[in-house]
Amino acid sequence: MWHNQAILGTAEITLDGNLQELGRLAEEVAWFCEENALDTDVEFDLNLVMEELFTNAVRHGGCEGVKEAARVRLELRDDCVEAEFADRGREFDPSTAAAPNVNAPLAERPAGGMGLHLVRRTVSDLAYRRAEGWNRVTMRRPI
Amino acid sequence: MKQDVRSGWCVVEIRGRADAETADELEQMLRAAVEQHAKVAADFGGVDYISSAGLRAVLQAARAAQEHNAEFVVCQLRGSVKKVFEVSGMHHVLRIQGDPPC
Repeated sequence: MWHNQAILGTAEITLDGNLQELGRLAEEVAWFCEENALDTDVEFDLNLVMEELFTNAVRHGGCEGVKEAARVRLELRDDCVEAEFADRGREFDPSTAAAPNVNAPLAERPAGGMGLHLVRRTVSDLAYRRAEGWNRVTMRRPI
Repeated sequence: MKQDVRSGWCVVEIRGRADAETADELEQMLRAAVEQHAKVAADFGGVDYISSAGLRAVLQAARAAQEHNAEFVVCQLRGSVKKVFEVSGMHHVLRIQGDPPC
């Protein structure tokens, strides 16, 4: 299997603005975790966070149909995986999105809004900056 | 996904990933089940990954069950999949149990 760019401890994945890329993203994250002997919980969480940010950029950020619309970078540190998700969509800071009411009854639950809540609950040190037309979100997943 | 009727329950066995790519299929399958059966159990024993898109599919199915006065149960959540349900407060709005009801 060919990987975008990967050396032990680091993975870089470029994604077109198409949700069919999710399968390839999952394979690349799985490969990174396997190569670095990270357990399945870490793989799950990295997948979850990257899917939520990518899906948001495609569905709401204007990345749908854009070639090389997003980039994922994973880097193994001593006590965590440092991750960056970058996209060329509209300026959007996921750390400031309103938190959903997770205690709301079924009738009052909005259809969306849970994805970024999951992101914030899954990783630490979530930080955002806009640089040269890219949204860049950095985070850590302790290991 | 596989569907089986036993002891009055329609058990929908879901497998693999419940993500943004597969969520529409999951929602359709569960909706069809609650429209055709009075008691439906969504068996997540074979699911190893879920994102908010998968959760949304389950919520939409629960709403459809309410509209059709059908019982709807989610069962066999494992590991990180269970954690995602918990963090999202799904236990407030869904009937979640360990084993299938039949």
